[in-house]
Amino acid sequence: MPQASRDIQRRIKSVKNTKKITKAMELVSAAKMRKAVSKVLASRSYSDLVWDTVLHLVKKVDTDKHLFFKEPKEVKKVAVILVSTNRGLCGSFNATLVNKVIESIKIHHPGVITTDVMTCGTKGRDEVRRRKINLVADFHKEDITANSEDIRPISHMITKDFITGKYDKIFVAYTDFMSSLKQVPHVKQLLPIVPEIDERLGHINHDKDKVENISVDSFAEFIFEPGMEKVLDAFLPRLVEVQIYQAVLESEASEHSARMFAMRNATDAAGEMIDELTLAYNQARQASITSEIAEIAAGSAALE
Amino acid sequence: MKDLKLKIVTPEKILFEEKVSQVSISTVMGEITILPNHIPLVSQLASGEIVVKHNKKEDASSIALAKDEDLMAISGGFVEVLPDQVVILADTAERAEDIDEERAEAARQKAEEVLKTKLADAESFIMFRAQIEKEMARLKVVRKYKKRGVRTGHNN
Repeated sequence: MPQASRDIQRRIKSVKNTKKITKAMELVSAAKMRKAVSKVLASRSYSDLVWDTVLHLVKKVDTDKHLFFKEPKEVKKVAVILVSTNRGLCGSFNATLVNKVIESIKIHHPGVITTDVMTCGTKGRDEVRRRKINLVADFHKEDITANSEDIRPISHMITKDFITGKYDKIFVAYTDFMSSLKQVPHVKQLLPIVPEIDERLGHINHDKDKVENISVDSFAEFIFEPGMEKVLDAFLPRLVEVQIYQAVLESEASEHSARMFAMRNATDAAGEMIDELTLAYNQARQASITSEIAEIAAGSAALE
Repeated sequence: MKDLKLKIVTPEKILFEEKVSQVSISTVMGEITILPNHIPLVSQLASGEIVVKHNKKEDASSIALAKDEDLMAISGGFVEVLPDQVVILADTAERAEDIDEERAEAARQKAEEVLKTKLADAESFIMFRAQIEKEMARLKVVRKYKKRGVRTGHNN
């Protein structure tokens, strides 16, 4: 066999191996995605209800009273929690997220002097470092976040930093899971709390069961036990925690579906490449046979 | 009688969503029972039990199936009461029938031991205290549930 067709055969073999690997990774991601999606959907109702409660509360509470609601006069220092992935091979997932962060900080808060980033996930950390953005903390991210306790260190740290006035605003950047086909990077304000109906955190897609919007204004009294201050002090940090938890879950679901699609594309591309290479190989083989026959025919003609 | 829409959710799942006639919960201020048309209330919850009383249903077919009470253990959280709806945002919550008594007991003992041996920093002390409280609440609920099961011949 001539050199050219042997080379082609070697390449076909290697592409076939790659295809096997990407196919396997696609299946693994699909399984992980199913798990992550069911978790996201389960916890959405909780975070919705927490948010509903906050919306009820802010109507009854003077929002200036609590530190968490107070809008800063000027925004100079902001912190962003960047929820990314630990592994690559998921398309442009992490790059678009980081781009989105930079862009939204630039557009919405031109007066910002320093932006500190806390990362959750190694890929986001590397990306942030490469772009020379202030990195103040890096939290370890589990592949599958088991429960909201894993989030507690993050929420603890940012609430403390916010209370001490280290940051004027705190955001969380994550990838919103709209469907397995569509994931959108999103930057959301965590602190101070903006008491408005939240459109995101997957809210666009999943139909929020409208539990008849009770107007809280009609109630003259609203009891807080053991007292308004104490309830808010306990409730609002919990709200922050729940929001980060939800953001992490959304990111996880998005990550696995992004990876699944990246791997599916890779598998398809490998298949196409194998077809092309096989064609080229067959042509080369045919060409060599033809030339061999021609040589034999020429040889026998010379003998006569 | 008016119904009370009760929803118990944890970050992991929706545990309970039904119309009930009354619900008893333990807040940090003590145990309260909520009936329909309760004044709006927001309160912090302690580790403890939730007792849900169902409406007696009229049609005979459902009586055989329906239990008139549900027991659950929760470990802290918040409750929001509106006139015809109660939302319990629990940190963790379990139905009595899902709790494994032996494991709950083991978990409580383990937490207690850790608390005795290592008096580390204040934060972990509080954490273990909370854990013991949680396990105690679970144990209480599961024991109550078992007792009741024997008494009424209800053992599914």
